[in-house]
Amino acid sequence: MRLYEHEGKDLFSKYKIPVPQGRLAKSAEEVFELAGEFNKPIVLKSQVLTGGRGKAGGVKFGSDPQEAKSEAEGLFDLKVGGFPVEKILIEEKLKIEKELYLGITLDRANYKIVILVCAEGGVEIEEVARRDPQKILKLSFDIDEKFYQFQGLVIAKWLEVNSPQLREVGAIAGNLFRLFKDYDAKLMEINPLVLTSDGKYIAADSRISLDDDALFRHPDLKEMGIEKRHEEGELTPREIQARERDIPYLDLEGDIGMFPGGAGFGIMGNDFISYFDGKPANFMDSGGGPTPERLANMLVLLDENPKVKAIFAARFGGISRCDDFAKGVIKFLKEHGLSKPMVMRMTGNMWQEGVRMFEEARKENPKLFEKLEFHGIEVPIEEIAKKAVELAKEAG
Amino acid sequence: MAILVGKKSKIIVQGITGGAGSFHTKRMLKYGTKIVAGTSPGKGGQKVENVPVYDTVNECVENHDADVSVIFLPARFVMDAAIEAIHAGVKLVVVIPEHIPIKDMMVVRKEAQKYGARVLGGNTAGIISPGEANLGIMPDIAFSPGRVGTVSRSGSLTYYVADTLTRTGYGETTCVGLGGDPVLGSTFNEILELFEQDEKTRAVVLVGEIGGVYEELAGETISKMKKPVVAMVGGLTAPPGKQMGHAGAIVEGGLGTAQSKVKALEESGAHIARMFWDIPKILEGQGV
Repeated sequence: MRLYEHEGKDLFSKYKIPVPQGRLAKSAEEVFELAGEFNKPIVLKSQVLTGGRGKAGGVKFGSDPQEAKSEAEGLFDLKVGGFPVEKILIEEKLKIEKELYLGITLDRANYKIVILVCAEGGVEIEEVARRDPQKILKLSFDIDEKFYQFQGLVIAKWLEVNSPQLREVGAIAGNLFRLFKDYDAKLMEINPLVLTSDGKYIAADSRISLDDDALFRHPDLKEMGIEKRHEEGELTPREIQARERDIPYLDLEGDIGMFPGGAGFGIMGNDFISYFDGKPANFMDSGGGPTPERLANMLVLLDENPKVKAIFAARFGGISRCDDFAKGVIKFLKEHGLSKPMVMRMTGNMWQEGVRMFEEARKENPKLFEKLEFHGIEVPIEEIAKKAVELAKEAG
Repeated sequence: MAILVGKKSKIIVQGITGGAGSFHTKRMLKYGTKIVAGTSPGKGGQKVENVPVYDTVNECVENHDADVSVIFLPARFVMDAAIEAIHAGVKLVVVIPEHIPIKDMMVVRKEAQKYGARVLGGNTAGIISPGEANLGIMPDIAFSPGRVGTVSRSGSLTYYVADTLTRTGYGETTCVGLGGDPVLGSTFNEILELFEQDEKTRAVVLVGEIGGVYEELAGETISKMKKPVVAMVGGLTAPPGKQMGHAGAIVEGGLGTAQSKVKALEESGAHIARMFWDIPKILEGQGV
């Protein structure tokens, strides 16, 4: 889960990492009022869950409340990387002497926590990493390893901090490390960590991403107003519909509706269709053990998509059994009806039961099955993909 | 012979009295898997499918010499359960549930290394040595005893590859599901090394997918292996994903795309299959 800058800064404050004085506004009028309270030059930062904000014009300045208000009006009309701006963080404008970089992330391949430090912070940090990798200090920690004070000093030295302030900056690194571990983070960045012209080190920005699977351990986040959110930018109407039903779904450019099993084959199935010169209309993931309702909803999404000309369906029953799968498909046929040709293969746990249920339902009402061609284990999956491409061409 | 599990494995099910635990215990037993006991704290003394239930893993080890555990418990209880098994002396822990917190799995992995145990998952379909033992949720029908080992992060892709190997008469020695969670108990490298040492395994099929860097790292082992490795990577046509922060990019560089995985695998000497049916053709070409 990605956090907004202001939420990240709330966490920073909690862990004694200095942040600029700031207030959150949700309308231009609020900006006007708050700017009056600041009574000094301010910066207006649009709050969006994506990078590249500065380049997209999402950061503005205001020297008085009137200017702040008119800049805010512009920001609220802006979209940054597809994200509409719904709130603005107002902060005192810092007098920046130097921009530094401090980041912590997980090195999943090596099962480590890694601290990254660079004296050249700011938006070009990745460029610095590519061009001059030796400018970045990397410190690796085991998951249960402690951060020692001296390591803070090493980091501060790398950041070219003057001796009297080494401890102060070292403590920022140590506190960020504790925060990272305490909240099950995947990523925490202070970029930039700025040195102001009056000699203070302040976290001018925050970027935090937490492990969704560990949120249950952090009920206090909710008390801080930090709740689970959707992190996509612009969604298509169908993606919104899918999201409301909690189905991982992406619209693609093609005309073959993809109704696969889990994410693994969901991805590979699309490769198969492309291999036969077909074009998938979507990516979808049923998740493990989907209910008949969920399966029926997934099919509705495909059947109602005007771009879809044929549907490719595959189920290899593991934790999700084929009889449950058949139930979902039959539910869809009865309650919604299939308007596009669909070719399907079903095998794995309880596949014979699944095929039998189809046969019985077809005997009962052959009309429902007019557009559905189903197979069991006897036909290899490639043939199903090939057939789906043919069906789409015929319909095209 | 097979790797990690076989006829002689003495297997326990942690969470045996739960819905998924009891359902899959029945399936695993039906396959002939030697399940000697199960755990469910507070329910010691009961039986599930005639398998004795204990409160702790220690009791399973004391009474039945258990050496393998398969976990069917909600994600938040997995770290504790896995470490309980590892400390009790279990040598292989198979974590079926998904969404295990990353930190938990890192702690489990570290503990496993300390005790000389291995962990598969989270979010694995399990592991099967056809004809000997089937641990987890994999459908029996795809598998048959044979001479090719498989390793994959995805359950469904494992089924399809095994289905292909079974149809074409190759069969499988062992099929290992590494799991689909972001951080896993074992790596491709570790499993490949086991296959390389296994007498009966003549070749290995590795199935990868976009995301993470585990496939790229497998090249290190593949380049040292004598046995042929066939690799297939899902997601060549997937739209590029969103990137998160700078730190991830600095640590992982340009890795994680299907293209970078195929490139790394190919350079290490793996034979690349684009479709399932390429796999038997490549094996034939390699004289397997």
